[in-house]
Amino acid sequence: MLTPILLIAVPAVFGLICLSLPAPRWRLAVMVTGAWVNLGVIIWSWLAPHAPLKDEFIGVDPLGHLIVTVIGVLFAATSLHFVGYQRAALISQRVFLACMLALLTALNLVCVSQNLGLLWVALEASTLAGTPLIYFHGGARALEAAWKFLLMNSVGIALALLGVFCTALASVGAGEAVTLTINSLVLHGRQLDPAWLRTGFLLMLVGYGTKMGLAPLHSWLPDAHGEAPAPISALLSGAVLNAAFLAILRAYQVCQAANLGEFAGGWLIVLGLFSMAVASVFVVGQRHFKRLLAYSSVDHMGILAVAVGLGGVASYPAMLHVLHNVFYKGALFFVAGILGHSYGSYQIANIRGALRRYPLTGFLLLAALFAATGLPPFGLFYSEIGILFAAASSGHWWTLAAFALFLCIVFVGMVTAVLPMAFGGHSEPEAAAHTWDGGERWRYRAMAAPACLLIGLGFVLAVYQPSFVKEALDQAAAALGPHDTGAAIATAYAAGGGR
Amino acid sequence: MNTVWVMVAFLEALAALALPPLLMSVIAKTKAWFGGRVGPPWLQPYYELAKLLRKNAVYSETTTWVFRAGPIISLAALLTAAALVPVLSNRSPLGFPGDVILVAYLFALGRMFTVLAAMDTGSSFEGMGASREVTFGAMSEPALFLAFVVLAVATGSLQLSQMLGPTLLDEWQIAGPAMVLVIGALLVVLLTEACRVPVDDPATHLELTMIHEVMVLDHSGPEFAYITYGAALKFMLLGSVLLHVAIPHPESFVFLDPVLRVVELVALAGVVGVIESAMARLRLNRVPLLLAGATVLSAIAVVIVFARRTL
Amino acid sequence: MTYHPAIDTILVLAMLLNLSMLASSRLATCIRLFAFQSFLLALLPVGGEIAVGELPSLHAYLIAAAAIGLKVILIPYVLMRILRSGEIHKDVEPFIGFTASVMIGALAIVASFAMASRLVLPMPPFSDLVLPAALSTIFIGLLTLVTRVTAITQVIGYLVLENGIFIFGLFLLNRTPLLVELGILLDVFVGVFIMAIVVYHIRREFDHIDTDLLDELKEV
Repeated sequence: MLTPILLIAVPAVFGLICLSLPAPRWRLAVMVTGAWVNLGVIIWSWLAPHAPLKDEFIGVDPLGHLIVTVIGVLFAATSLHFVGYQRAALISQRVFLACMLALLTALNLVCVSQNLGLLWVALEASTLAGTPLIYFHGGARALEAAWKFLLMNSVGIALALLGVFCTALASVGAGEAVTLTINSLVLHGRQLDPAWLRTGFLLMLVGYGTKMGLAPLHSWLPDAHGEAPAPISALLSGAVLNAAFLAILRAYQVCQAANLGEFAGGWLIVLGLFSMAVASVFVVGQRHFKRLLAYSSVDHMGILAVAVGLGGVASYPAMLHVLHNVFYKGALFFVAGILGHSYGSYQIANIRGALRRYPLTGFLLLAALFAATGLPPFGLFYSEIGILFAAASSGHWWTLAAFALFLCIVFVGMVTAVLPMAFGGHSEPEAAAHTWDGGERWRYRAMAAPACLLIGLGFVLAVYQPSFVKEALDQAAAALGPHDTGAAIATAYAAGGGR
Repeated sequence: MNTVWVMVAFLEALAALALPPLLMSVIAKTKAWFGGRVGPPWLQPYYELAKLLRKNAVYSETTTWVFRAGPIISLAALLTAAALVPVLSNRSPLGFPGDVILVAYLFALGRMFTVLAAMDTGSSFEGMGASREVTFGAMSEPALFLAFVVLAVATGSLQLSQMLGPTLLDEWQIAGPAMVLVIGALLVVLLTEACRVPVDDPATHLELTMIHEVMVLDHSGPEFAYITYGAALKFMLLGSVLLHVAIPHPESFVFLDPVLRVVELVALAGVVGVIESAMARLRLNRVPLLLAGATVLSAIAVVIVFARRTL
Repeated sequence: MTYHPAIDTILVLAMLLNLSMLASSRLATCIRLFAFQSFLLALLPVGGEIAVGELPSLHAYLIAAAAIGLKVILIPYVLMRILRSGEIHKDVEPFIGFTASVMIGALAIVASFAMASRLVLPMPPFSDLVLPAALSTIFIGLLTLVTRVTAITQVIGYLVLENGIFIFGLFLLNRTPLLVELGILLDVFVGVFIMAIVVYHIRREFDHIDTDLLDELKEV
């Protein structure tokens, strides 16, 4: 019980300190410390085994634990990157940093909340904390992005609340003992009223799907990712999207327990494939680097939805995908932040020859690109192959074909857009580029270091997966369904050669 | 016994036919009172009718028989409708299942001939008034019909005298909100059909803003008397439909019934007078919204009444 | 089944208020109508328990108090301040006309009754009008969101949607923990507060609060 309280209290306390401190320098230090202390708490929490949960509001279960860890790692890295990134902005630094920590608090609360209602409250809180972050640079475009983010997510998530209520209605028939906690709902799954649960799941899928960036309600996502500062984009795509994904997983868990796994999975596959299709359409020919990355996020969320929807054998690769996606998507946005500062633009046409001019950044860009598009030896390769195998073994041939097709299109679109950025010609005026010398040197390092860290971590975990990581992923995958997880692991490992 | 009832019905009908000008007078008095004036004498509308009936009619050379037939046919239509609508008691002189449709179309027939007569003059003012009258009439009709649907569902009858009968007392218990909505819709219909504020202003002096009054500018003498009386009669008929819905009288009232109804009608006229004094006429382009609102009120009432019977 | 005139009246009034919000051409009127609707709905948690013959619980009183405090007083106050803060357009400018939107709203109400008659609730609600009222309020909130261009009307649409969900939540008064319900209300309030700030910035940036003007960001 201590862990979840700490996970909420630590960022909240640091956020309050941030609000009360007078000096900007100290506030920044407090934000970074808060993020790292939070990571420390998470690492500490892994030392203890998962205790079975009863009917608590908050608690740590394998699924939530995995997501909270992923978010914590990304947040710690982002806090470092932000030290290099930060500069004069339109909104006050005090509010901004406090909002970052508030976002972390809300996301942690999403991960540890075991009650569907509390989960909703936390997720809506994360939307509210995220809005000022997007408005960092000020101006009409950032404003438009912030408005779209706030309104679309609020409305979407209002529908999800309706879904929560429908789920609660479904549980009324099962007796007074059933509460809205995941455990209780899963335990009494067979007694839930299927009609209301179906309605509830669909509403939650649409509502939380808006927040997760599932098409067709993804339209806020490229705008927000494109206009927010790079570290915030990293948080949005790595942390907020995953938290929304967790919310959908919770709904899926309940459906699975109520014997509606097929129904829920079917809709997840449909929305997932549609998201991948939309992403593949907009990735090709995209001119804005961060919007390109945003559509790549939509693509990856689609992949996750399809994987979960396939269920069974695909659950393990889905969790593997969650883990690795965060590293590379974070790294890509960090690299985008460096390139944006270096070239003063996020237009792909303006960024050329990064490998020649900024060797480290160029190298990181290529590494993150290959990792994010699922080339071996990076982790996403194994997870995507695992999902393909799972689709094949369960006979979802059309899903398999569409999945593979969209993967290929996104791969081609990403590579053709990014390779010229790394190698590139001499079209642009040399003087326009930033040189990062003298006093700026440390900024460059602070911004590049977290990217190195994330890519390195991802690479290590891909070539050598320690047993505790495997166990964590296993347990998280097992929480997704009553299926035989032994077979799942075997398949994923046969596919990926994990160890 | 039967003869007594016939006598009573005869007296009732006489009283009902004599009442409409008085109601107009009540409205005028109320408005005058609000304006701090004494107002015309109570019997002024009767004097005016008498005066008009004594006069000769003047006809424009461009008009045809349609112009002369208009007022007569519309008055005839309204008088026929008056025989079907229960006014001072729960009974009506005539009645058969389905007569509610006839009543609605008798109103429409009367309107059509007023409009045709107006168009027959060939004047642009009359044409404009006619176009407005038809537009607003067409928009208030759905509200009236849906209100009749509510009453038909509530009482299980299509005969107006039964639809407005004492069975409505039960309906107030079952679906009170629906009845309130119907009353709201009927009130708007009443104000529209009788050409009162906020839809039309009978007292205005600018032809451009009139609806009904501008249509009948060319009529004179007895025919204008028919029109004036017809408008008052229409007000009374729709008003008594409204009152029968709002305040259903149980059968046990018998002889008290007509007296109460007269008092209620006078009160209703007073309320309309208050509305006229308190409100300004709506902009012409907002009127459709009001009428759509009335239709919506009736529609919701229909839904509620149905829901209460099926859910 | 017995019918409670007061509850029925509140629910029907709430539905009519939705329509009048669609019909009214002034932002200030819209906000007042919303406040009135919220007030009526705030009476329902307590009224509903009285209607089924129970003594109202503390839970119900707290929800009612929180709803009145936030949705009847604070949110309208914040919105009115934004409205008065500058010479923004005080008129509602709909894509589709007022009469048409009222008609669509009425259709939504009829559709809600039709839907409600087919949905089987696991337990009898305290009035058979609750479900239609909830559904129609949700639909009309979405309609307002989609068809109105000014930022404030979109906020109002969101709030109406939220009110609809509030009515729906009445079924579950005793099943959702108090903490969660208060959290929901608080989230809504903070959300509207931030929206108001964003609206303020939009006004400063564009001299206008038409979200129509927010179309810089799109794929070419």
